Amino acid sequence: MAAAPAASAAGRETGVGQPAVAGRSVVAFCCRECAYAAADASANARTSLPPTVRLVLMPCTGRVSPLHLLSALAEGADGVMVAGCLEGQCHYREGNFNAIDRVAFVQRLLKSVGVAPERCRMFTMSAGEPPKFVAAVKEMDRVIGGLPPLERSAVPAVARGAA
Amino acid sequence: MRAGVFLCQCGGNISGVLDLDDLAAHVRPMDGVTTVAINQFMCGTEGHQMISEAVEDRGLDHLIVASCSPRFQGPTFERIARELRLGENAVAFANLREGCSFIHKDQPELAQEKAKKILAGAIARAQHQSDLPRQRTFLHRSAVVVGGGIAGMTAAEELAASGIEVHMVERQPSIGGYMARLSKTFPTEDCAMCSLAPRLTSTALEGRVHVHTLTEVDEISGPPGEFSVKLRHRPRYVSEACVGCGECVPVCPVKLPNDFDFGVSERKAIDRQFANAVPSTFAIEKKGWSPCKSACAVHTSAQGYVALVAAGRFEEAYRVASEPNPFGSVCGRICTHLCETACARGKVDDPIAIASLKRFVADTVGPTVPVQPAPIVHEERVAIVGAGPAGITCARDLADLGYRVTVFEAQQVAGGMLRTGIPDYRLPHDVIQREVDQVLAKGIELKLGRRAGTDFTVDGLLEDGYQAVYLATGLQKSAEAPLPGDDLGGVTRAVELLRELNLGGTPIVGSKVVVIGGGDVALDAARSAIRLQKQAGKEPDVTLVYRRSKVEMPANVTEVEEGREEGLTVEFLVQPLAIEGKGSKVASIKLQRCALGEPDESGRRQPVAVAGSEFELVADTIVFAVGQALVDDFAQGCDGLELEAGQICVDRDTMMTTREGVFAGGDAAAMGFYTAIEAVAAGRRGAASIHNFLRGQRLLPVWDDEREVARPTEEELAAIAIGQRVPMQMVDGLQRRGDWREVSDGYTAEQAVAEAERCLNCAVCSECDSCVRACPSGAIDWDQAETIEGITVGAVIIATGHQEFDARRKRSLGYGRYDNVMTQSQLARLLAAAGPTAGELERPSDKGVPKNVLMLQCVGSRDCQSSGNEHCSAVCCLFATLHSSLIKQHYPDTEVTIGYTDLRAPGKAHEEYYKLVQSRGVRYVRGRVSEIIEEPDKSLRVRLEDTLTGRKSEELFDLVVLSAGLEASEGTKDIAHVAGLQTASAGFIKEYHPKLAPVDTQRTGMFVAGTAQGPKNIPDSIAQAKAAAARAIGMLSTGFVLTPAQVAASDPDVCIACGVCETVCPQGAVAVTTGADAHSVVDPNICRGCGICNAECPTGAIQLGGFSDEEVLAEATV
Repeated sequence: MAAAPAASAAGRETGVGQPAVAGRSVVAFCCRECAYAAADASANARTSLPPTVRLVLMPCTGRVSPLHLLSALAEGADGVMVAGCLEGQCHYREGNFNAIDRVAFVQRLLKSVGVAPERCRMFTMSAGEPPKFVAAVKEMDRVIGGLPPLERSAVPAVARGAA
Repeated sequence: MRAGVFLCQCGGNISGVLDLDDLAAHVRPMDGVTTVAINQFMCGTEGHQMISEAVEDRGLDHLIVASCSPRFQGPTFERIARELRLGENAVAFANLREGCSFIHKDQPELAQEKAKKILAGAIARAQHQSDLPRQRTFLHRSAVVVGGGIAGMTAAEELAASGIEVHMVERQPSIGGYMARLSKTFPTEDCAMCSLAPRLTSTALEGRVHVHTLTEVDEISGPPGEFSVKLRHRPRYVSEACVGCGECVPVCPVKLPNDFDFGVSERKAIDRQFANAVPSTFAIEKKGWSPCKSACAVHTSAQGYVALVAAGRFEEAYRVASEPNPFGSVCGRICTHLCETACARGKVDDPIAIASLKRFVADTVGPTVPVQPAPIVHEERVAIVGAGPAGITCARDLADLGYRVTVFEAQQVAGGMLRTGIPDYRLPHDVIQREVDQVLAKGIELKLGRRAGTDFTVDGLLEDGYQAVYLATGLQKSAEAPLPGDDLGGVTRAVELLRELNLGGTPIVGSKVVVIGGGDVALDAARSAIRLQKQAGKEPDVTLVYRRSKVEMPANVTEVEEGREEGLTVEFLVQPLAIEGKGSKVASIKLQRCALGEPDESGRRQPVAVAGSEFELVADTIVFAVGQALVDDFAQGCDGLELEAGQICVDRDTMMTTREGVFAGGDAAAMGFYTAIEAVAAGRRGAASIHNFLRGQRLLPVWDDEREVARPTEEELAAIAIGQRVPMQMVDGLQRRGDWREVSDGYTAEQAVAEAERCLNCAVCSECDSCVRACPSGAIDWDQAETIEGITVGAVIIATGHQEFDARRKRSLGYGRYDNVMTQSQLARLLAAAGPTAGELERPSDKGVPKNVLMLQCVGSRDCQSSGNEHCSAVCCLFATLHSSLIKQHYPDTEVTIGYTDLRAPGKAHEEYYKLVQSRGVRYVRGRVSEIIEEPDKSLRVRLEDTLTGRKSEELFDLVVLSAGLEASEGTKDIAHVAGLQTASAGFIKEYHPKLAPVDTQRTGMFVAGTAQGPKNIPDSIAQAKAAAARAIGMLSTGFVLTPAQVAASDPDVCIACGVCETVCPQGAVAVTTGADAHSVVDPNICRGCGICNAECPTGAIQLGGFSDEEVLAEATV
């Protein structure tokens, strides 16, 4: 894989690790066969989660396109996550592999314009693994909390226009 | 949009955390929101009523349901929307319970803010939600089951029991599948056929199951519930009149490896796979016409008489050879035998000596066959002018049809050009006379010395009571080829020279003869000249000059070779310029060398003179043999007969001349120039035409329909051991040139049989008609032909099964090379009570009982490196264990060793069975074999490594049995292609979901069962067949099917036809059309709504209903 184009150090978001900040938001595109079901299961067990993350139901993570991820970031989200089936267990064979590729593509794109690539993440889990979903959401919340609110102008203009 | 927002308290689950009134106030002013309502349980009766009233009172078109996860009550609200006629896709969900109240109890303020966002997302999304079309298909309560093995039969019976009409399609002549070929079954050791046979009968007798054997599925199209299936029925060539007596089998001369027995036995071209076959009707395997039959002008079944010669049945061979052609002995000598040119064996070594075999049977059997006068059936009389091959054949066929026939011949002897044009050494006169006499013995009158136009006229014949006349006068004189000096003494013409010779004269030739021409007549004249010179006490000196090369020469190449053996000089690429005389006599001939130029319209390369290459040859006799011409004296007194370019005009379809009732054929007719066999063919066409004319209807075909030609594949040819033709005894060239003896003696019976055995039986059935004669019920039906039948069915069950891995692909194990290496399936046939050895275990090399047997597991399974198959074939461990047990019980002295990778016996009672067999003394060794070497005594040296102890050993075995793995059958691969189904490794059909939908395929309405889906044993196949049947029954019970709402659809105006969607679609639901307005089209019956195409589409032309970019973005970007 080609190395991401170098961005100037000045324009670059610095690392994570700062305390959680309220008011941040993350859009989670969840496959209805696995992650959305895992989310339902964890919620039914009354597992508390940070309110940062809002779910969007998808039929398959293969349906998620870079347009969705970049638009969400451009229109107010501080982070986006894609949660799909375990590798090799996609109900449509390889939709989750498509998603993995697209997330990697968006990460490279973000990096190239000086946005922390970890604002876009891919997670895989089965419907029977609610703890994995919980961990994913907490991880995302921790990462986004550690970053400053996203500078909208930093997100590629094409995405904002497209939305 | 006129949307209603319905907020559910969920009995406090939601309202306990979120302030619903605040949310209601928040959304009420939003764009598109018409009404907002709150209820304790929106999914309950009260909530339902509240929604209904709101829709009715306020004219809502969208519902925003803010409640639990759409995965719980989503379908309930979608059903309500459908009931209220809001269409598909009218509901947007705000997941306030699992998505908010349940998980943010401890942060109610933040939860309230998040809930507002969730609601806003749902409302924004609803703005873009439009109705989605669904297609409705009414179901046909019928199914097609592809494959008639145990899985197919089980599924068919289950379907039929539910009142569903079933078409069972089986490619083999009988249903029964792989199970019918097994000996016994594990772990109970009960006989496979004993449990299968009752099922075969019950399936066949089940009124709702229509069994189509010898049938394949060519096409499946249309939506589920209404599949259009195209069935291709191959002909069986045996009608239902067959009583199954089997009289046809011993008389069939064609033997081939028995594929039902995996090649451990032979079968005949007419066969029934096994005793209990269903249907019990025999079947003939026929691949069309053999190349030899197709090439022959009269379509003689050469493969047929060759097969009968190989079987030593010479009388029957003669019957087959003489049926279309009365000149067997003649054609066996002088025919151009295009059959041999076409012979497939010629691609391997030498073509079969078909002509010599014909000569053998006609010479040996022909003279012994008594001929009775044919009964007169019709009153009409037919006159035939010319007793050559065309005339005599026409006379024979007409006599057989029951006509009175008179043949008029100008010469004092019958036979035409065969008699007057071909010298004795090549075709003895008595041979022609015998065959002519046999035809005349049918009651045909022959009038010799009667020349048409001179001694009688055609008009006169028609006035004398002949209703039809057949003109077959031939081309009786040499064609003219003007050359300076051709009027000198010593210049003669071949046709005239040979006629004088053959009618008993002794033509005078000089001491230096030059023959000009390259046809058979030129060679005959040249070789006769050698003999005439020798007879006159001169040293033979004959030169043949031909203007093209050997390749273009129309004469038979062996003629040139035989001529050279006799001292003939042949000059190729030489043409004559002038004949030089001395006084009135020939002194020399001026010649010129040529080179080959461009091909002319006949395809032969034209000779081009080479300037300055002129030379002279001293000669006293010049013989022209440059073609023949018509002697048209018969046209005198034949009113209305027209000639064209020196031949008689005939209608190609009726063989009639321009004079009503007068027909013509052979060399004289304007249909081209004929060889002897083509003249015979012309005679047959003439007889058929005259019969049709006299009867006033088209009763007989004038020209045979050409059939498909069966040719062995390159692979089949490559497997044939190279040999050579059995040579025929020849008289020495220098010896034979002194007299008129025949050049070759012909085959002996032993030589003929040996030569005939080389035949490859290209077409399988040789059409020798032996079975037709043997069948007591007249069941053989050559009129059967391939037919296509279209049926419409609601569901498809695929049960096309598996086949054994081709163990030849593991070369080191010697299968196919060593006699005593076989596969487990072959062993099953040997151990089967109804098998070829009646259950006796025989070592292939010597038919003895093997004393030491090795079974080798995982051949072509769990072996990615050399076979490409990673999968475990699931049945082989127990298959080998079963066979070992059977051997041990029948032959206690035989040692059996099983070399395994891992012993896998997970089925019910399988482990117990394995332990039992082990206790019977079968040795299990964990290890793999590196190589097998055949010893001179055909036993097998095996290098074996015990992977448990690490001990390496080398042992000798009498027999090695390979447990070859299971792969998808050819039928499975074919149906996957036809039905558009995906396949997994080794070609097995991929199920829709490996756990949740194991009998569904990715196409709705198509189900899979048995080993077509993957390796499995019999009970598992049956269980799966019943599951597949249950799925089909369930679907067919609903009356109709709707396509799903959430499917992709393409906008042709936006689509750029890049084809990405087609590439990424995991279901194969998308296709790109061709033409100027090419665009992608989604089949809603196949699409499963994943939306991968939508994400990949570069223009956004293809959108997934319910998850379009607009809908997703609206929700994600609030």
